[in-house]
Amino acid sequence: MNDRLPIYLDYAATTPLDPRVAEAMIACLQSDGPHGNPSSMSHEYGRRARACVEKARTQVASAIGAKPECIVWTSGATESDNLAVLGVARFHAAKGKHLVSARTEHKAVLDALKQAEREGFEVTYLKPGIDGIINAEQLAEALRPDTILVSLMHVNNEIGVIQDVAAFGGICRERNILFHVDAAQSVGKVPVDVEAMNIDLLSMTAHKAYGPKGIGALYVRRKPPVGLRPIIFGGGQEGGLRSGTLATHQIVGMGVAFEIANSEQEQDCSRIEPLRDRLWKGISGLGDVELNGHPHSRVTNLLNVSFNGIEGESLQFALRELAVSAGAACSSASDEASYVLRALGRSDALAQSSLRFSLGRFTTAEEIDVAIAALKREVSRLRSFAPRSA
Amino acid sequence: MSIQYNAAVIDHFEHPRNAGQLLRGPETVEGVAGSIAQGVMFALTARIVAGRIEDVRYEVFGCPHCVAAGSWLTERLIGADRADLENWSWREVADVMAVPAEKRGRLLILEDAVRALASAWPNCT
Repeated sequence: MNDRLPIYLDYAATTPLDPRVAEAMIACLQSDGPHGNPSSMSHEYGRRARACVEKARTQVASAIGAKPECIVWTSGATESDNLAVLGVARFHAAKGKHLVSARTEHKAVLDALKQAEREGFEVTYLKPGIDGIINAEQLAEALRPDTILVSLMHVNNEIGVIQDVAAFGGICRERNILFHVDAAQSVGKVPVDVEAMNIDLLSMTAHKAYGPKGIGALYVRRKPPVGLRPIIFGGGQEGGLRSGTLATHQIVGMGVAFEIANSEQEQDCSRIEPLRDRLWKGISGLGDVELNGHPHSRVTNLLNVSFNGIEGESLQFALRELAVSAGAACSSASDEASYVLRALGRSDALAQSSLRFSLGRFTTAEEIDVAIAALKREVSRLRSFAPRSA
Repeated sequence: MSIQYNAAVIDHFEHPRNAGQLLRGPETVEGVAGSIAQGVMFALTARIVAGRIEDVRYEVFGCPHCVAAGSWLTERLIGADRADLENWSWREVADVMAVPAEKRGRLLILEDAVRALASAWPNCT
């Protein structure tokens, strides 16, 4: 080991800022930048800031096929998920108290649903197949006359599988049930079109798409209105749905990041996919490894792999020259096996021996080759003194 | 990674001593404890000559502390007799490796493997 920083293969946890995003944000933070409060429309400082915010709103809306007025700024996908789940549940409680989601959702959705359960709502958690995919029939069967919301993610943050949200949206729209999608991992990786996919609410975050941390958005369909109760109260910004002074520089950063993500999606994906395939070829060559999640319905930048016969903590430590994630970053503080991999039927031991490799805009072929060499060396070393059987 | 390892752990993890297993023969005995499903497993093989361990190897499935503890132990098992194995305690290696309290149970599995080795000790020696 030397003192160099490890090779970053954890883009699904967060991405570095794209220099073009940083440049736009820095311009906002200069003394001659738009430092006014975007709500202060009575003077030029406020109006300049407001113009920046509205430009970013249009950029974010364009990336998902939405109208700008449907974008509500939040602090990130966690807040967006909470606002969507609890906001809909509380607003529509008189109509029904049943919600549908899945076991493999992000904790931001699952914990918001737990809160809804504490408030008297009932939640059905769909179990995906061993490939991580939830099929539309499963969803249709789970719906009830008192179902008010379906919340299902687009791209899974741990295993990278892509759910058929357009099919889910069609089913929900047919039955007049609101449909929320956690799309934190989607923008810049897969096309998102809220109209074509019949999505009513969609959570987004900037920092998974080379934007800044601390800013996100919730798409909220306006026509007909969704019906949403706020979870943060105060100055009534964002149409009363999310009070709090708007952070112009963060919002500008998200706008530029989403504009780039949208316009360069094809270019990014076609460059990253061969790198991911090269990494998988190297890993699968080690033998006795398993790819978690559907082999084809997946984003181009992510591999989640179980390494048979190697203990997870030792594997991570042995590979410390690589910045990878054991399960989700949000849950890697705990020693527990990933609940997503457990939901796919993996044993605790195998789930703990799994790593998530996520590539991104700045990953190079040289980095992938170094990663493969490190994997070859350390996996065979650890296996060389592992006992053969349980 | 939030877990910190001391220099002894890193040294033994990167350069495990006596890793692997001995070829089975009339003078070799084996002590196994734990399981992969449990998350920790140790397998010791030793060659006993004249009532003492002449050579020893270990295999491990476990965290870096376990890998290092097994390695450290094998260096001390050379020359040990049956009574040494029966009296061996996990506490010394826990201190040397600064094993955190929540992981010390894993060293009990190592201790079980040492006891299993003692139980397998040939009667004639």
